[in-house]
Amino acid sequence: MDFLFYMGDVFTPINFGLLLLGTIGGLILGATPGLSPTMTVALMIPFTFKLEPQQGLILLGAAYTSTVAGGAVSAILLKIPGAPANIATTLDGHTMAQKGQGAKALQLSFIASAIGGLFGVFLLIFLTPVLAKWALAFGPSELFWLAILGVTVIGTLDSSSVVKGLLSGCIGLWLATIGFDDIMGAQRFIFHSSVSGGINVIPALIGLFAIPQVITMFAKGRKGTDAEIISVKRHPIGAAFREVFARKRALSIGTAIGSIIGLIPGVGGQIAGLVAYDQSKKISPESAKFGTGHPEGVIAAESANNAMVGPSLVPLLTLSIPGSPTAAVLLGGLLIHGIFPGPTLFTQYPQVVWPFINSMLIGQILMCVFGLLIAGWAANVARVPPAVMAAVVLGLAVFGSYSVQHSMGDVYVMMALGLAMFFLERFGFSAAPLVLGLILGPIAEANFMQGAMIANATVGQMAYFFTGWLNWLLIVIVVVSIGYSIWMELRQRRYTTKEDATA
Amino acid sequence: MKKWIAGAALALTAMTGSAMAEGHGDYPERPIMLMVSYGAGGATDFQARIVTMTAGNDDALQMPVAILNKAGAGGRVGWNWFATQAEADGYTLGAYNVPHFIAQSIEGGVDYSVDSFEPIANWGADPAVFVVAADSEFNSMADVIAYATENPGGLTFSGAGLFVGHHIAALQLEKAAGVKLAYIPNNAGGAGAMRAVIAGEVLGGVNNLSDAFRAREAGTVKILGVFDLERNAFLEDVPTMMEQGYDIDNASVNFRGVMVPAGTDPAIIDHLAAVVPTMFENSRVASRMAAGGSPMQIMTRDEVIEMWAQRQETLEELLAGL
Amino acid sequence: MTDLPRTQHIVASGLIAGVGLSVAYVSFTQEPAGAFVFPRLISSVFAVLAIWTFIKALLGRTKVGAGISGTEMRNMAPGLAIAIIYIFWAAKALGFYTATTLTFFILLTLYDPAPHGDARTWIKRVLITAGFMAVMYGLFALLLNVFTPKEIFS
Repeated sequence: MDFLFYMGDVFTPINFGLLLLGTIGGLILGATPGLSPTMTVALMIPFTFKLEPQQGLILLGAAYTSTVAGGAVSAILLKIPGAPANIATTLDGHTMAQKGQGAKALQLSFIASAIGGLFGVFLLIFLTPVLAKWALAFGPSELFWLAILGVTVIGTLDSSSVVKGLLSGCIGLWLATIGFDDIMGAQRFIFHSSVSGGINVIPALIGLFAIPQVITMFAKGRKGTDAEIISVKRHPIGAAFREVFARKRALSIGTAIGSIIGLIPGVGGQIAGLVAYDQSKKISPESAKFGTGHPEGVIAAESANNAMVGPSLVPLLTLSIPGSPTAAVLLGGLLIHGIFPGPTLFTQYPQVVWPFINSMLIGQILMCVFGLLIAGWAANVARVPPAVMAAVVLGLAVFGSYSVQHSMGDVYVMMALGLAMFFLERFGFSAAPLVLGLILGPIAEANFMQGAMIANATVGQMAYFFTGWLNWLLIVIVVVSIGYSIWMELRQRRYTTKEDATA
Repeated sequence: MKKWIAGAALALTAMTGSAMAEGHGDYPERPIMLMVSYGAGGATDFQARIVTMTAGNDDALQMPVAILNKAGAGGRVGWNWFATQAEADGYTLGAYNVPHFIAQSIEGGVDYSVDSFEPIANWGADPAVFVVAADSEFNSMADVIAYATENPGGLTFSGAGLFVGHHIAALQLEKAAGVKLAYIPNNAGGAGAMRAVIAGEVLGGVNNLSDAFRAREAGTVKILGVFDLERNAFLEDVPTMMEQGYDIDNASVNFRGVMVPAGTDPAIIDHLAAVVPTMFENSRVASRMAAGGSPMQIMTRDEVIEMWAQRQETLEELLAGL
Repeated sequence: MTDLPRTQHIVASGLIAGVGLSVAYVSFTQEPAGAFVFPRLISSVFAVLAIWTFIKALLGRTKVGAGISGTEMRNMAPGLAIAIIYIFWAAKALGFYTATTLTFFILLTLYDPAPHGDARTWIKRVLITAGFMAVMYGLFALLLNVFTPKEIFS
């Protein structure tokens, strides 16, 4: 119960002020297109140079927590996912906002985030030693199978045709191979200088989601205002809480999947939201409603991507290995104060670590409170006339994708992908599987290559990729997942989902 | 000490005053950008953020330095951009990693070579070390090489990629010990390579001294040897490769420093070359670097030019056989 | 299904099949082969799926995707043209802030349904543009220190 002992430290005036600053700053920066949680935390590092270690870490912890949730704001209101974690949130969240239920979507997302997030941090507090072993269990072969499992999700994710879903995924996987390959350093498919550095995920995300929406608004033409007006429905906060707790299945699937995937080094929070979304869709009796503004979609996605925050720090705090880019930045925040993470961290620097973990707990709650306060007001974004909205989203997309690496090439890639995606969407393809392919491609390839190299030097490839209970467990899940998709396809239920809703 | 540095900085400012008169009197008049070709959170990024934290001080550049990460393909993406697209206006600095960029330019397929860049100053030198998991049966390099001799090509060990310092160290070890090893490049950089060692996926690994030092503090690895000419102050108890009988020099040591694109105004280069080393010497910088376990080695522009030329020669020879 | 979407489906899936085949061709011919193992695998699946989709479109069996109607094309043409000029030329040539201000204002003029004859409409548009640009400048230039390409008027 050490964390309770140090709880008081979070509430001293300076520390609490920093906690507020981190939470609010994190929400704003997280909602800014192009700023991933990693960049947000990296931007906060210079401020911690001047602070005491304890204060610096409180600021970073609060910022990390709230940027992940802040990404949901732009995902829901503008359909620009702030980071890969928020992709799944756009699928139902933005549809809800378009129907005037933006306030409800935001409230659900913040409450689900906070619940998932608190669960994740409690895992970090109570189960760290156990989880550390689990984080090491994923070697190249296991990560390869995990990526393949992700690929099997592609066909069923937000797509009305399995073949077109898989084809979208293949396009994404191919886009991921553009540029220098990570291991051999060979150049692949560099047909224009803009892609010589490969396709960066964040600009690609912005383009694939935001640009089609801008063009769709153009396509509606210069219409009278009265035809387009959306009445933004108010939504009582109490009802939002009741709704979240009534949808226990989505909430528990999201939280569980987020916690497990967050723990695996290298995969991190990028795919937690998408996998949780897909799984709760498959299990739900109302799976046809997913993608049409179904609250369960928002709840599953957001609880998953905040649940991964706590567990993603386990490898860092216990083994001194950063499991995600954001954890690597936090490692920097610890190192500048001469604090080395590792098994002795909790005994040597309890006055730093526990307030840091507590700041994430309190940060989750503060984030939820702020989120609920602004939700009703922010939902009015849906009332902005389409002409203004199109211009705003276009401007944000350009600035956001440029700011990632200060690169014009990224802006060109963003626009080219966005243009292509607009036409593809009109022919039954969708952006989510494409992005999933883009994210999973490098993970699958690099781990396959590394595994093959280790295998060749030791036991041989068959033995390497097909030994061990974890490998087999993942293989079985892959087979079940594919079988399930085929079964669903044969039952022909899937053709109706999306088109009916948007047509 | 502080007074001495301030004094030196003043003297240098006075010395460079004449150069500044030629139309660059106000340089720098806006914030400066430092491109790092590795992602946020990596060792290079982390150190670059520390060594530039005092840039805004009156005795330094008087303008803040903002870090810009252009990560990908072991640094090739960032350096390609720096060589071909970065503006040579003195406001675009880059961080270099030697031997990485030199080895990559020798390997080919990139748009840069040592002639594409003008060094300003060096801030750090991070030697490669050989690590094994804490529960490994290997206790010295002799054990490792004995295993490799028995199982040619069967000793798996991880490193941060191909044509980076770790790979150079691996090649040197193979050559010096006369054995065939299985070097497994990791796509997740040094942190991923270290994880592979700790998790027992590979039998050993080459990694950065700073990261290995931290991992040893955490009790997860043993460090068997340093790929450098002398023992390191952070690891007084770990012998060098030379001491253990392998003829390996410091070609794999990861030197980190600041450079500008070729074609930058010589007056600006001179100004930076005079001011930047004193910025690195700031006591706040030194204490932060020491706290993080990052070894510093400050070198002036002339010393770096010489070091680059030396590396170019050694690496050409070493990589010729590939 | 009318004829227009069917033709569009054939063109679209034909283009994708073309991309798939050329990706496969490049993967199987480029060296070093070691670096192209994974692309070969993906591009094979990619090409097969793309051809399948193309054949389905040829046979008129495509079940999803509504295509783009003539009205929609006419509506989006000017906006699309401006967006393309803005991103691929103006942002770099004129500078981010100049180009964004111009594009923003032109798009409002083109797509805002308020009457052009009314002076208040114009004042409103100028104010919205100014407000948006102020937020962008504050966020990206002042807070985040993003170095954008040089503005033409500076």
